[in-house]
Order: sequence, then C-alpha cells, then structure tokens
Amino acid sequence: MYLIRSVFFLFIFNLPFCVLSQSGSKIDDLSIVLKRINDKYEKEKDFDKSQYFFLNKNWDSTLVYSSRALDQVKDLELLDYCHYMRGYSFMMKKLFNEAKKEYGLVSQDFRFYYKITRNLGGIALEQDKYDEAISYFNELEKLSNDDDYDFVRSTVIHDLGLCYFHLSQFDEAEKYLLRSIRLQKNDTLLLIGSYMDVANLYYEQYKDDVAIPYFEKAYSLAKKTKDFELRKNATLNMAVVEENRKNLLKSLAYRKEYEIWKDSLNDQNKVWAIAEIEKKHALERKQKQIGLLESENKIKISQRNGFVVSSILLLLLLGAGIYFYAQKSKTNKIILLQKEELDKLNATKNKLFSIVSHDLRSSVSAFRNSNYKLLKGITNRDYETLVPIVHKNASIATSTYNLLENLLHWATLQTHQLYFNMESIDLFSVVRQVEYDYMPLFENKKIHFENKIVKSIFVLVDMDSLKIIIRNLFDNAIKFSNEKDTVSVYTYSLNDDFQCLVIEDTGMGMNEETRKGLLREDAVLNKKKNQKGIGTGLGIQLCKSMIGKNKGKLTIESIEGLGTKMIITLQKNISNG
Amino acid sequence: MDKINILIIEDTPEEAMELQEVLVENNYNVVGVANSHQEAMVLFYQLKIDIVIIDVFLDGNPDGITFAETISTIPNALKPFVFLTSSKDRQIFERAKLTKPFSFLLKPFNELELLYALEIAMEKFYGQSNVFSSESQDTIISDDYLFIKKKDVLNKVLLSDIVYIEVENRYCNIITEKERFVIQISLGKIGEFLDAKTFVQTHRKYIVNINAIEKIVLNDNLLLLKGNLKATFSGKYKDIVKGFNILK
Repeated sequence: MYLIRSVFFLFIFNLPFCVLSQSGSKIDDLSIVLKRINDKYEKEKDFDKSQYFFLNKNWDSTLVYSSRALDQVKDLELLDYCHYMRGYSFMMKKLFNEAKKEYGLVSQDFRFYYKITRNLGGIALEQDKYDEAISYFNELEKLSNDDDYDFVRSTVIHDLGLCYFHLSQFDEAEKYLLRSIRLQKNDTLLLIGSYMDVANLYYEQYKDDVAIPYFEKAYSLAKKTKDFELRKNATLNMAVVEENRKNLLKSLAYRKEYEIWKDSLNDQNKVWAIAEIEKKHALERKQKQIGLLESENKIKISQRNGFVVSSILLLLLLGAGIYFYAQKSKTNKIILLQKEELDKLNATKNKLFSIVSHDLRSSVSAFRNSNYKLLKGITNRDYETLVPIVHKNASIATSTYNLLENLLHWATLQTHQLYFNMESIDLFSVVRQVEYDYMPLFENKKIHFENKIVKSIFVLVDMDSLKIIIRNLFDNAIKFSNEKDTVSVYTYSLNDDFQCLVIEDTGMGMNEETRKGLLREDAVLNKKKNQKGIGTGLGIQLCKSMIGKNKGKLTIESIEGLGTKMIITLQKNISNG
Repeated sequence: MDKINILIIEDTPEEAMELQEVLVENNYNVVGVANSHQEAMVLFYQLKIDIVIIDVFLDGNPDGITFAETISTIPNALKPFVFLTSSKDRQIFERAKLTKPFSFLLKPFNELELLYALEIAMEKFYGQSNVFSSESQDTIISDDYLFIKKKDVLNKVLLSDIVYIEVENRYCNIITEKERFVIQISLGKIGEFLDAKTFVQTHRKYIVNINAIEKIVLNDNLLLLKGNLKATFSGKYKDIVKGFNILK
C-alpha cells in the first residue's frame, strides 16, 4: 500500500508538467496570429493590452483587460480570442472550473479550437475525470498528423497513457506510454517523465524487473538535467524502489540525495530571492549612476548649447559689423561722387551766374544809354532820330526778355519742376503760333521768313517745350543772319518713326569746330567771342536738354558764310502719323 | 451760324479786359467775366456757355482748379475749359490733370495761341482730336451743335436748325431755314456722331432732319421741307417713308 501511495504521489507532480510544457510551442504560433489580429483591430485598446499581457504570461493582468475587452468587443473572432485567453489564464492559475467555463464560450469555428480540446483534456486529467480526458484526447488523436496543429503529439499520447493507467487498464496504458517514449526520444525532459510513468506502470503491476530499469534510466537521465524537480522525483522514486527491495542502505543514500535536491530546490529558491534582491540593488545603483550621468550630460549639453549660441551671436555681430562697415564705405563713395558732381554743377552755375549777370548788366546799360539818347533827342526835338532808337530799345528788351525766359526754363528744368506732357501736336499750328511773335523781329531785320510746313503733320511732344526750342532757334537764326537773308522752316519724314523739323537760314554759318562744340554733350557755357549781341550759349543748351526730354535729337549742318540748318528729329505720333 | 459763348474767370481786370478784347476781335461772344470762384459758379449756372477760360490762380489760391473740379463732379454740367497759368509748376499741373479733359495756355500768350487752346479744348472735350489742325476737316459734332472753324475762329450751328445736309465729295452743304454754308467733314463722322433717329439719309447725297419734313411726294420722290426747301429721296432709301403714318 505504501508503495502505491508513494507512486501515486509522484503522478501528481508529473501532471502539471505535462500540461504546462506545451505552452512554449503553443504560444509561438498563437502569438503571431494574435499580433496580426491586434494590428487589424487597432482601435481596441483593451484587447491590445490583454494580448500583450497574455504573450508576456502575466495572467492576472490578462484576465483584467480581457474582461474589459469582452464588454467592448463586438466582433465574434475577437470575442473568441478573448475567451480563449481568459480560459488559458484561468487554467494557468489552476482555476480549472472557470477555465472550462471560458473554453465553453468559445465558438466551434475558432481557429485554435484543437488547443481548447487539448487543454480541456489536460484539465479533465488534473481533475481525475479520466474517461472524459480520454474522450478529449481521442478526439485529438483523430486529427491529421500535419504540422497544422502545433501541439506536442507525444504529450497527448503520454497523457492518454496516464489516463488508462489511472483507470488501471494497464495494457492500454503500456501501449500509449511506450509510444510516447518512442516519440519523445529528442526531448529529454519529457522522456524522463515518460520513463518514470512507464516505470510506475510496471511497478504497479508488480513487474519489478521491467520497472526498475526504467526507474534507473529516468534517474540517470535526470542527473544530466538541471531540472531539480525532476531530479528530486527521480531520486525519490529510486529511494522507494530500493526500500521495497529491502536494500535499505541504497535507499538511504537515495533518500539523502533526495533531501539534498529538495534542499537545493529550496536553497535555489533562496539564492534566487537573494539574487533577485541583489539584482534589484544593482539595478538601483545603476539607475542612480544613470541619473548622475544624465544630469552630467544635461550640464554638458547646456554648456555646449551656450557655447554654440554665444559663438553664433559673435559671428552675427561680426557680420553686422562688416556689413555696416561696407555700407558706410559704399555711402562714402556715393557721397564723394555726388560731391564731385555737385562741385561741377556748382561751378557751372557760378559761371552761368557771372555770364548772365554780365550780359544783363551790359544789356541794361545799353538800355540806359539809348534811353539817355532818347531823352536827349526829345529835348532837342530831333524826332527823326527817335524812331531807330525806339526800335533798338525794343530789340534790347526782347532779347533781355528771352534771356530771362531761358533762365527760368533752365532753372525749372534743372530742379525737375517742369510739367511735361507729351501728346500729339500739329507742327504747323505750333510753328505758326511762335512765328506770330517773331514776325516783327524778322521784318525789323528785313529777313524773309517762309513757313513751308503743311498741315496735319503730327508729332509726339510737349508743346510748350517745343515752343521754347523753336523760339531759341528763331533767335539764333535772326542773330546770325544779315539783312535780306532768308529763314525758312520745313519738315521731312526721316522714316516711319521720326519726323525732322528744319530751321534753315542763309546767314553767316559756323565753322566745324564751333558746330562740334555746340553739339558736345558736356558743353560748358562759354562767352561767345566776336559777337556784338548778347548770348550766353544758354539757349542752345536749353534746346538740347528740351529736345532730349522730348526723346528727340538735334543735328546741325552748316557751311561758313552760306548758312545753317538746325534739324530737330522728333517722334511721329504713330496713331495719327 | 452763331458765335461761341465764352465765360472768363480771371481776377486781374486788365488781363480779363485784354482777353476779352482779343476774343471779341476774333468774333467770339464773351458772355461774362467772373473774378472769383463764387461769382464763377453763379455765372456758370446762369449763362449759356460753350467754353470757359479759367485762370488757375484767383487771389493767389488755385481756385481755378477747384472750380474745374467742382463742375467736373456735376453730371451734364461740364463744359470744355482752358486753364490760364503763368508757370508750368508741376504740382499745379498734376492737380489740373485730374480734371480731365483739359487744355492749358501759358502766359504770356499771343492771339494764335489763345485760339489754338480753345480749339484743343473743344477737340479734347468732344473726343474728336486733330480736327481743326487738319486740311480735310473743320467741324466737331456735339449733342446739340456743330462747331465749325472758319478762318481760325470757331462758330456753332444748332443741330435742330439744320433742315438737311447735302454731301458733295469732301464737303457738306449745311442748309438751315436762314442760310447755307459749306463745312468739311467726313461721312463716317456724321454717321458716328449725328443722331441717326433725327438725321436720316434719304439719298446718296442727302441727309434730312426728320423733324423738318413737311410733305412727302411719293410720285416725284420728293420731300418738301421747312422753309420751302426740297430734297429728293431715292428708291434705295425708300424705307424712310415707312416710318410715317400714311394718311389715306
């Protein structure tokens, strides 16, 4: 009786081992599927957590989150997974009835339903419901031999053997257990368990000769493993066997070994606990060191950042300094250029002032003198002499007026105060309007004037500036003509875009040098030599500026002693051309 | 033909007088002289005016431009005007330029310049440029008048006074009840600016004022017009008769 009881005791140790040992391979396949499903149902946070804990074998948390997930999840597939995870967790917690209940809730279509069958069989075995267990296992046996089902087939066979053993159907039990040994040749741990079970089987039937070699095999194999539990059991079995064979010395030796393994199991647990604590301490120390290093790093980073920022600031400052310096030297250069220009302009202006005031002085003094003569003539009642004097006065007044007029225009042009409005103008009308004022002057000098311009020749100009130009050119024509000379005005078309206005006189003309001098861009005002009349050269300068502003061009053709042609090239007004 | 009515706005009496003299000499009718902005406004509404000559500066202020700006904002009141100014100061001109259309005359000016400025003002105002300076035209058409240049001077004819127009090459004979005279105008311009509902072509040569028709003699293709005038109409333009209610 004692023997039987002790053997029976051993079985209990073996059982959970058999069931649990499957977990490794079982989860591998399942885990992939679970992860895939989780990716599919990203929104289900609770399911995500429960599967995470499940895969990490944290059964309590799995139970908590899966129960939450059950409330929220509607999808049938997900529900199956939840129930499965719960069932498995309950089983691992040894709450077999709860586990059975959860497994019962999983639908038959569940992909891993065979696992449930396997687990239910295991549970039935644990609960000593051997017939039920056998039916579950037989069901599994019927499944094909493919790799589709990732459970260790040998364990099923082994468990079947155990069931028959407990039901005292020893023949059946022997058949299955031996088969499982054949299948388990590669897995030492399972093999040891099977050896012991087979040994127990024979021992129960009092076939000691067959049983003892199995016990010894199990013992010798167990010695090679590191599994203390197995070694302990194997040793205990050997002790019981030797005791029953009345070989008390050997039995004692096994007992002692058994005690050692039992202690070492405990010691190991203690060692593990201590190791755990040490690990914890070490971890804390490491954590502290990490904290220290981190703070050091932080300081270093902040120092480095500070350095970078300050160097950037310095660079910026340097850049700004260089920029401002460049700007300053640039402005200095501009100022210098402007100063030179200004000096030049100022010199021109001063010269102009001196010439103009000189001219004005001489013309006013001429006026005074002739007035004096006039007065004398009136006192002497010498009326015949008066007429030419009055004419002379008029011409002096006119030329002085013209000088002042030019001065005014020149000033407005220089200060950019002139209003300029280019529009379509009929040349005939303009020349006629200017001519109207000049007729008395032409007649006075007995100059024959001809306006040969036909009507409707339109050019694009500012009318008032064109009038100023024509006036000045008329002035010049009169000034450089002798009595009975001819002044004529006519136009010709240069090309599709330009019209030429010519003021031609048969006067004294000029030499090439003078002609070029007049047309020079930077012509400086010069007091004309060999001239009785007043003139500053301001008129021709003004003409050139005004023509330029009208986008035209002045050309001069002259033969000394024969006459001069002043040619103004102006833009045609295309639309009315 | 009637004289053109001119309003002068000028604060210097001598200049106003001189201006008036020149204008009267040239057969213009000076209907009023105003020497302030307010007086100008009053006269402008009282008198029948064809053109205004405005001195930019009245008592030292650019009130002349203010006046132009004021009449520019009143619908249908605007008339052609000429600015008188002694300097081409840019600021003043920029402001004057805003009162489109405008023409200006720089002092001192001679007779021809004044007359030219008046012509330009008319041309610009009625949008018919380069008319008076061309050889082939001398007439501007407004809504109510023909403005005709005869020997450098503008005259006007009330459109409703015209009985019919006889076209002859580049010339047109304008026939009113009292007189007949020749103008130069292109047929295209007549078509563009004359009201087609009032002036209807009845013949290759005739354009008749519909309101002047007194009788239509269909048998002779003859139109009896006001003032015992007659015009013919040709088959091509017979449609004109359809416009009338025929008594039977």
